[in-house]
Amino acid sequence: MSLTDILIQQLVNGLVLGSFYALVALGYTMIFGVIKLLNFAHGDIYMVGAFVGFGALSLVSGTIGAGWMGIFVAMFVAMIAVGFLGVVIEQVAYRPMLSAPRLSILITALAVSLVLQNAALALTDGQVTAFRTDLGFGGVSLGAVFVNYTQIVLVASAIVLMIGLELFVSRTMYGKAMRAVSLDKDMCRLMGINVQRVIAVTFFAGSALAAAAGVMAGVQYGRIWYFMGFLIGLKAFTAAVIGGIGSITGAMLGGLILGLLEAFATQIPHIGGEWKDVFTFGVLILVLVFKPTGLLGKSEVERM
Amino acid sequence: MATNKVTTRPAPGAIERLYAAFDDPRRRWALYAVIIALLLLAPPVVGRYGTVILTNALLYVILALGLNVVVGFAGLLDLGYAAFFAVGAYTTGILTQQFGFNFWLTIPFALCAAAIAGVIIGGPTLRLRSDYLAIVTLGFGEIVRIGARNLEITGQASGLTGIPSPSVFGYTLTGPTTYYYIFAALAVLAVIAAQRLLHSRLGRAWLYVRHDEDAAEAMGINRVRVKLAAYITGAVFGAIGGVFFAANLGAISPQSFSFQQSVLVLMAVILGGMGKIPGVILGAFIVILGPELLRDIGSLRLLVFAVILLLIMLFRPSGIWPGRRS
Amino acid sequence: MSKRLTHLAAAATIALAASGAGHAQEPITVGVQVPTTGSEATYGVDMKNAIQIAVDEINADGGLLGRQVEILVGDSACDPQQSVNAASKLASADVAGVVGGYCSGATLPTLKTYGDANIPFVITAANSTKLIPANPGNAFMINSTGYDQVRKAVDFFKSQGAKTLAIVDQGDAYSQDLANLTAKEWKKAGLEVTVQETVSKGEQSFSSLVTKIRSEGADAVFWTAYYADGGLLIRQLRQGGYQGIIAVGDGSNSPKLFEIAGRAADGVYCFSNPIAEFLPEAKQFIESYGNKYKGRSPGPYSTLSYDGMKLLGWAIEKAGSTDPDAVIDALASADGEAWLTGPISFTDKNTLARSNFIILKGEQGGWTLHSK
Repeated sequence: MSLTDILIQQLVNGLVLGSFYALVALGYTMIFGVIKLLNFAHGDIYMVGAFVGFGALSLVSGTIGAGWMGIFVAMFVAMIAVGFLGVVIEQVAYRPMLSAPRLSILITALAVSLVLQNAALALTDGQVTAFRTDLGFGGVSLGAVFVNYTQIVLVASAIVLMIGLELFVSRTMYGKAMRAVSLDKDMCRLMGINVQRVIAVTFFAGSALAAAAGVMAGVQYGRIWYFMGFLIGLKAFTAAVIGGIGSITGAMLGGLILGLLEAFATQIPHIGGEWKDVFTFGVLILVLVFKPTGLLGKSEVERM
Repeated sequence: MATNKVTTRPAPGAIERLYAAFDDPRRRWALYAVIIALLLLAPPVVGRYGTVILTNALLYVILALGLNVVVGFAGLLDLGYAAFFAVGAYTTGILTQQFGFNFWLTIPFALCAAAIAGVIIGGPTLRLRSDYLAIVTLGFGEIVRIGARNLEITGQASGLTGIPSPSVFGYTLTGPTTYYYIFAALAVLAVIAAQRLLHSRLGRAWLYVRHDEDAAEAMGINRVRVKLAAYITGAVFGAIGGVFFAANLGAISPQSFSFQQSVLVLMAVILGGMGKIPGVILGAFIVILGPELLRDIGSLRLLVFAVILLLIMLFRPSGIWPGRRS
Repeated sequence: MSKRLTHLAAAATIALAASGAGHAQEPITVGVQVPTTGSEATYGVDMKNAIQIAVDEINADGGLLGRQVEILVGDSACDPQQSVNAASKLASADVAGVVGGYCSGATLPTLKTYGDANIPFVITAANSTKLIPANPGNAFMINSTGYDQVRKAVDFFKSQGAKTLAIVDQGDAYSQDLANLTAKEWKKAGLEVTVQETVSKGEQSFSSLVTKIRSEGADAVFWTAYYADGGLLIRQLRQGGYQGIIAVGDGSNSPKLFEIAGRAADGVYCFSNPIAEFLPEAKQFIESYGNKYKGRSPGPYSTLSYDGMKLLGWAIEKAGSTDPDAVIDALASADGEAWLTGPISFTDKNTLARSNFIILKGEQGGWTLHSK
């Protein structure tokens, strides 16, 4: 492979990985926006999404097959189901905590994460599950650069979902309310906005996006398991912070930057993949040293 | 950010009255005597297994008290506390094993290394908001763990083995009961240190900075120095825990210093009652003894434990034994 | 001595009573130390299931010394401190012996716990070379250490005409040990390691690693870790257009590899202990496993764990009691009796004396024997 080929191939790899990170990071950032919570259970929501998608695909594959048609149906089912799960988690675990000290709700989120992870562990008896589809390994080759059809469709779906979210947030009533709530909850209440409902809708949307990413991961990588949300949860959190937590465009940007950083860091001779997480966290720290609220974050005054 | 300013004080229930009784200065010495007696008498009563897990809980008391300085006193969120624990353990491991140091001689080195780590983590992050602080400390924690996994000097993934047991006056410190008493003594020292810090000039500066940074600065408190002092103090507690952890197990490896470890210590602090020393001690015992007492239910034990954690948080949102907040 | 005699007498009485009444005696408890929570639970549960099957068979044959056997699981969570807690619990429960030990790093500090309590410990998976000097004498490692596999692997890659090698591990003691030893041997032979990488547990995307392997050039790729992530790597290597030889270590010998990797696993080689599929005696084991744990296939250390339990049972019978010293002596005397994974006998350091690695090849969704 020539150097150009390598760079282009790594660019493709980084974009694919980055779109996964971005989808999960969006949920982090939206939820943070409305209730200022770092939802550590978000990675596990992604995991649940993958399993629900797997279950749905097994059900529909008999009638419409496990091709793209079946996958999109499964993805849709997973998004709806997990969206509601997100709402239930918000109602049960987070809503009663909104007036508690901020760190308490963080611990609640960590506990929810433990619950989801260990429930999945118990239900699957610790097994890894093969996520089988009818998709082949075919793809497009440009010289030595190779892109899978699956990768193309997944990145395209991620882009469609992100555009959809952007439209939802900028054009609809709920989107506007969401932005208003993230600015000033008390004022929204006075203006007659149903803040609780806006928070619920935000959880629904964020969780649905994570579920979509989970199903995509199943399709692309072919394996799902109870612990799959942990690492991507950390990475998506990092991505959201690099972009500026609370900023939707920032989350997308952060996801892509993180994906690209990891891809190119792997290629660096003598340093390589084993140090790539050190490299990404190093970049993160540097970004924050020079821009303390992330790339697109707004500065705010806070008290704990 | 300052959305939830109003926290209503619940009417004093049975629990609050109990806490108040414990806080009563007239009973304090009697209480101390009871605790010391319980600590001394525990090993023969609880048996070998009980001694081992109590030792573990006491280690967590030390770690949680250290993290409490950072989170509870100074109000700085730290999701990478395991890094300080690792620095202490690895300093002792490397010096005893690869440079033939006497165990006791490694302690000052471990403390210096921890202080340096505290400055490295604290330095660049002082301007950050707490959420950003969370990810940066998390990042540092992961950097330390991955470094330990990749470097030759830390023994890579296998870690360091055969760390010699320390000895005092020719008597080798070994066995669960010995380490139980070592950790009990360390935990008592940690409580005294935390108590004294809280009531010192520095302790008041921390609380001041936590409540209102700008006002504190206007009153002539050096914000940067005070925050750095919190990190360094927290790091020192963590490193001491790490040093004796290494001596106790005789072997250390990166698995002990994962993100989950940091989370567990943070849970102890918040669950118990951030900023409140007896609360934090209680929290440390809960996060260690909880999963142990549930061992008999097998692989569901963490699920049950997590549900219990969730319920505790829902019913006592400020922690089991919260400190008074103004 | 008199103590042992008493024990023997007691055992004899019990055995007599057993043949008469056949019940009402206290069962023998065997500890099982594996991770059943956390990221390694997948492998821990595989091992626990296999041990349970061995126990069921032993009980169906009348138990040990006429007593039924039951297991007590100590969850190590693959964490050194947690496994010491688990080990202390097992030791306090007066187990007759312990079988298991998956993560080397978490098994190591428990050697001391079991040593102090003088409990026989059959280690069925963990095989880091660091365990050997820490063994107080009561532990027996029935999984061969990395060296044997490295020799087999290096010879194999050479015989296939490979000149350059890419080695990938998962950052745990076992797979990193294997990767480092292989790299050392390979370089000693004057050949080149073009890529040596560690991937993180739980990482799903290996595409940039695949690109790196393709760009640096490697005649063969050696994955030294476990099937759950190995399946992903194989799949992505083939998806990403890698054409060379792919081989995996014994941690990846599970049939599950084919479920995850799909057709990409065809043509992949595996260095392994003889796995159940190729052993006539083992047919029954696979059947029992499939019947008892629906939809689950045995994992990489399932047969070893099954053997470990059977070996401990054999030693208890041979010792004629559950006296630890007698059982430890009996274990040390194991001499080539046939087990599922081959004959077991121990060196003076209580490691497996003979290794019997074979090479498997993936064909049409399953392993076939490539060479002995």
